[in-house]
Amino acid sequence: MLKLSNISKSFPGVRALSGIDLEIRAGEIHALVGENGAGKSTMIKIVAGAYQPDSGDIEYDGARLHNITPASAKKAGIHVIYQEFVLFPHLTVAENIYIGHERRGKLGLVDHRQTRRDAAELLKRLGVEIDPDQLVTDLTVADQQMVEIAKALVHKVKLLILDEPTAVISGREADLLFARLKALRQEGVAIVYVSHRLEEIFQIADRVTVFKDGERVTTADISSVDRNKLISLMVGRDLKDIFPPKRARADTGKVVLKAENVTVNGRVRNASIELRAGEITGLAGMVGAGRTELAMGIFGGLPMSSGTVTIDGQPISHMTPAVAIAKGIGFVTEDRKSQGLAMQLDVAANVTAASLIEITRNGLIDHGAEDAIAHQEIAKYKIACRGPATPVATMSGGNQQKVIVARWARTNPRVLILDEPTRGVDVGAKTEIYKIMNELALQGMAILMISSELPEIIGMSDRVVVMREGVVSGELTGAGINEQAIMSLATQHMAA
Amino acid sequence: MAKQSPLSTFVKRNRGLVVVIVLLFALLIFGSFISDRFRTTSNILNVFEQSSGLALVSLGQTLAILTGGIDMSVGSMISLLSLLTSGLMNGDPAMILPVTAGIILLGCMIGAINGIGIVMLRIHPLIVTLGMGAVLQGIALLYSLGPAGKAPPGFKFLAYGKVLGLPVSALFVIALFILVALFLRYARLGRYIYAVGDDQAGARLMGLPRSGVIIFVYTVSGFCCALMAIYLVSRFGVGQPYTGVNYTLASITPVVVGGTLLAGGRGGVMGTLFGAYLISLINNVLNFMDVSTHYQLIAQGLIVIAAVSIYVEKRKRI
Amino acid sequence: MTDATDIKTGGEGRSSGFRHILSNYGIHIFLVLLVAVSGIVSPAFLSANNISNMLLQVAPLGIVVIGQAFVIILRGLDLSVASVMATAAVIATGFSGVNSDMPMIIAISLAIGAGTGLVNGLLVTKRDVSPFLATLATMIMLQGFRFAYTQGAPSGNVPPLFRVVGAETFYGIPYNLMLLAVLAVIFGILLARSRFGREVYITGGNPTTARLLGINADRVIVSGYVISGVLAAIAGLVLSGYVGIVDNWVGRGFELDSIVAAVMGGIALSGGRGTIVGGLIGAAILIVVFNAVLMFGMPVQLQIIIKGLVIVLAAAFYVRRSV
Repeated sequence: MLKLSNISKSFPGVRALSGIDLEIRAGEIHALVGENGAGKSTMIKIVAGAYQPDSGDIEYDGARLHNITPASAKKAGIHVIYQEFVLFPHLTVAENIYIGHERRGKLGLVDHRQTRRDAAELLKRLGVEIDPDQLVTDLTVADQQMVEIAKALVHKVKLLILDEPTAVISGREADLLFARLKALRQEGVAIVYVSHRLEEIFQIADRVTVFKDGERVTTADISSVDRNKLISLMVGRDLKDIFPPKRARADTGKVVLKAENVTVNGRVRNASIELRAGEITGLAGMVGAGRTELAMGIFGGLPMSSGTVTIDGQPISHMTPAVAIAKGIGFVTEDRKSQGLAMQLDVAANVTAASLIEITRNGLIDHGAEDAIAHQEIAKYKIACRGPATPVATMSGGNQQKVIVARWARTNPRVLILDEPTRGVDVGAKTEIYKIMNELALQGMAILMISSELPEIIGMSDRVVVMREGVVSGELTGAGINEQAIMSLATQHMAA
Repeated sequence: MAKQSPLSTFVKRNRGLVVVIVLLFALLIFGSFISDRFRTTSNILNVFEQSSGLALVSLGQTLAILTGGIDMSVGSMISLLSLLTSGLMNGDPAMILPVTAGIILLGCMIGAINGIGIVMLRIHPLIVTLGMGAVLQGIALLYSLGPAGKAPPGFKFLAYGKVLGLPVSALFVIALFILVALFLRYARLGRYIYAVGDDQAGARLMGLPRSGVIIFVYTVSGFCCALMAIYLVSRFGVGQPYTGVNYTLASITPVVVGGTLLAGGRGGVMGTLFGAYLISLINNVLNFMDVSTHYQLIAQGLIVIAAVSIYVEKRKRI
Repeated sequence: MTDATDIKTGGEGRSSGFRHILSNYGIHIFLVLLVAVSGIVSPAFLSANNISNMLLQVAPLGIVVIGQAFVIILRGLDLSVASVMATAAVIATGFSGVNSDMPMIIAISLAIGAGTGLVNGLLVTKRDVSPFLATLATMIMLQGFRFAYTQGAPSGNVPPLFRVVGAETFYGIPYNLMLLAVLAVIFGILLARSRFGREVYITGGNPTTARLLGINADRVIVSGYVISGVLAAIAGLVLSGYVGIVDNWVGRGFELDSIVAAVMGGIALSGGRGTIVGGLIGAAILIVVFNAVLMFGMPVQLQIIIKGLVIVLAAAFYVRRSV
């Protein structure tokens, strides 16, 4: 059905794919696995025509495809469900489902009633209750995901690609999705399924391909591999080589930050969490469970509707980012591009952004001092760049992330919050970031790490707090930290 | 999930339109208390007739804004096209048809060039249309530094003619608005205008004809400018090199007052039509209250501020 | 592995020194070439008289561009500058036309400029109004106040000292150019070297990041509009001294010209990038182009056409560069 030969693609500062060969057959569910930044999403975007490959051939349905555009891919029966949804927030559910394939009546005009009826029918067949007249912006994330899935069922699809469809749904909705995928496989549709959740892959996939560092490691029948084999293929080395050895657990670490009964505008309810000096606390849960919102509430980035935050036993009445920073909290945000970095500015300006006082002499910025600091941090964190004046926009994800970590470490915080610190970062940089986190913890910093990657949570945390649907559903320590325990705390009741 | 009543959904999604119509009626009632002359049919008809031209330009502007863009070339385009209209007709009735057709075609072409420029150069529409506006103004002044030519006899009908006592131009504009409103609702291209304005990148990923949509809306804007130019020549009997200059910014006011967001993707043309009526009516009422035109400008500024403050949706702040 | 790729890109960056110079100093080179070519084609262009004339014209636009630079780096746009300029100019003639009026005139003008900037800034930050509409609305309102104040026809004289500052030269160097230089140095240092300036770049580069860094982004943005308003008022006074007589439309077109100059000078509308020097070079290019058109004996109208083309080409140049 689809045959990729020798596909390569580079972005400024990073080689995303090198020499990928891959064959997808009609009537199979083909799983793609790999760590963040392994190249799965890039490959999907190339097949969908959103990116042009630097080199390589794509053969589809017996013919070679040139210069694929999203429109031509669509026409050829390729449908992609992206991880970041492609929905028009201010159109209705029905319109979103049929966009590009409008139900038309007389004179070729859009038949809104028919559209609504068909959409309602489709959603019912999918087994979800969503009002087709609602605007997509008013839906929950899980419902938006179901609308994305419904879009794929509208027209004749020959190749269906799903990128992490279960990141925001689980239980019943995930089962509905799997049933639908199996039915499509029966009809001869080729399905590419990208997921982090290995159990799902064993549940529905026929074959699996492992990506690592922009290369295809292997393709195998699902029956010929097991879980551990897959993980070691994905990671390419033993877990213990990626995660630094755990520090001797500092039981005596005193509580630096205590957040009690934090409620954030419907996203977090009565959540409490304690962070101790020298300890890495993992905050686990599904996407949308309210982890980022809890951390943002503590940091003052989102308004808390109720709850208290105490630092060193001293309650803070009105938390804002300025107060938080003054009290010694640092926040490495989840989304580097939209929240973390000023992409147009250079490394020096981004590194010193949280400690401008340090480089201010007589009220003026001392560029010499700024450069010196930047050089120092570049060396310390092995940030690969041309120098302090390199615009961060031209750097790879891992190096951008190190810039942000360096920025906050520079302020010498008591508490450092890291939200998905290794998202979009290659394995080498990942290991380095873990090492940095460990060193900071050893220096007595209290670290809160939000992560969706279970190996990361398990490999790095001294203590794990799990959230589910806006509340803290449990806390694990020591030997209690394992995948089953975390997953059950993250998803219990949701299946109901 | 509780299903909302269709009426409340309509009100929620067409806030601009509803607010403007309510204000319009409130103002009509208020005005009739102020002056007996205000209440007269001729005064009201006058208001609707006066607002027609502005509404026409704002129609094209609305489409551009719905896609998240803006057309800053409308003023110069109207000036140039009005000059050409009266210059080429030069009082010859035989030229009415060919020149009118040619001007409309030219307006569409200029608009299409705007759209193509935005798509090909990947520059913000503001800059592209600003540049186009300067070029057109320069060409207009090269053609003539003052009024050029004159309208043929009989050409006045477009601006002053009446059918069943109602002004032809105002009726035509209303019909055009209804047509475009139906187009936006029932044609695929119409829906895509909203989709492109809602999420440009998403429209590309969904394989929607993003470039086509953008070229189309600026072409429509050019078309509206051509009609406006012809209307102005009919009304004043001659085209002038600066006749359209105020319309660039003025055409944006009814759009925002009518509830179309500058960010794109939300709003509609009927809000713009009533927005234009509202502005015209406010000036009319102020006239009857003996408020000088100077203060009417202040009122217009306040309306813009009020409108954008009401409709703006607070962005999420992290 | 990452290190290797990055070092490789680094190598490419170094080897393409020419491109580096072009992308960073392209606009400077363009200005020099423009002046050189104009001088060769028309020797009168480089006469002391004409140069002095161009320098006289650069000051009002340059002063506005400095303010516009702050606003655009902060992801905004200020359409109200021309209206502020005209209002300041009307104020300048609003008294008896003697030098002793000047403190009063300056105080009122600056207050109007600052007030307009404050309203713009508050609308943009507190009400989330788009900068385009916010400054459009204040522009219209200010216009209304001005018309109401003058009853449509301003009259009166500009104090003589304004005439001196606006239109006279000191050994060929216009006084208004000196004023521009002083303002450029002050605001250049403010933007490039002060903590506030750094906050401007961070806020313009990414407002969310700025907030999460504890920067009061709203206050920074409001300050940017106030700076723009105050500088526009100063430019209005200078221009009133240059033209001597005042009507309601002094400064008309400066809102767009100042934006064009800023964009040409490399100040990106997407925010976070650009310098005062760049903006001033953009202003100089505009003035030189206008002047050259006249010197070459071409019709005045070509000025406008060339301006339109230059806007689009400059913007296209920078878009290519940043992709």
